[in-house]
Amino acid sequence: MKLTGPLERVLRVLVADPSAQHYGYDLMKAARLPSGTLYPMLARLQQEGLVDSEWEEPRQDAGGRPPRKYYRLTAEGARVARLELARAAAVPRPSRHVAARPAHDTPGSAW
Amino acid sequence: MSGTRPVQRIAERLIRSACSRLPADVRAERFREWTAELPAILDDESIRPSWLRGLRALAFCAGVSRAARRLSQPAPAGSRPGKNPRWRSGAPRTRPSDAVVRVAIGIGVYLVVVAAAVGLLATRPDHRGWPFLLLVAAGVGFDGYCLADIARAGQVRYLPKWGWALVCLAQTPAGGIAYLCAGRVGRARSAPPGPAPRP
Repeated sequence: MKLTGPLERVLRVLVADPSAQHYGYDLMKAARLPSGTLYPMLARLQQEGLVDSEWEEPRQDAGGRPPRKYYRLTAEGARVARLELARAAAVPRPSRHVAARPAHDTPGSAW
Repeated sequence: MSGTRPVQRIAERLIRSACSRLPADVRAERFREWTAELPAILDDESIRPSWLRGLRALAFCAGVSRAARRLSQPAPAGSRPGKNPRWRSGAPRTRPSDAVVRVAIGIGVYLVVVAAAVGLLATRPDHRGWPFLLLVAAGVGFDGYCLADIARAGQVRYLPKWGWALVCLAQTPAGGIAYLCAGRVGRARSAPPGPAPRP
């Protein structure tokens, strides 16, 4: 699994409380991602069994609001996400970020 | 469920059109999921002033349209859990140098086109006669070419297809040039990356 920036942000939000249910807009705000990025990513994670989705039960007190679809990590997803986030934290920065920046931006060469 | 607010009805229509790209077995479910997000956006107290919520909902629809396009593409062959290197299966990414070249080509072509148009019009400052007609015909033809290209393209970059179509129509040479330089996904048959917009 390759941890891209957007994916990392989604996983951080989901891992913060693995039992919490998130609907799409909630995740978009928390991970600061546009819908065009978030939903394909959730579909991919779901396909790989890392994320589970569930329809909200229709409620009387919802004020006519249609039921939402909620996402949350599976047990396997929580395990994989923690592992990947820990691995990303252990490596200071992926090499592609360093390569994409000018040399004077890297720590150590600033004088 | 039909929304009561005009912006919600517009957004639902946009989402419905986005969902029409999806396979039939997931279309209805995605439509329900995405329209159910609209009340949350339109009642989001953290977005102020309140009219921005409508814009936020429309931006959500644009994203949903991109999401539907990505979701409608079949998964790459051999994608297995943990093995897929590309999480964002969207439009091909361009390297910065490539983007700079495209922008430079676009600006250059635009300047040449404007200079040619001004030169042509200068021959008849009263906006009559063949120079003016030629420019109008070239503009209409170029817009038509761009719209046809957008319609036939499998996918475009940065904006949804309807966004590029609007840009092309709104700014006649500049919008089309911007689309050809930035929005068009390069194809094998188009030899140079830059456009050849005018006769």
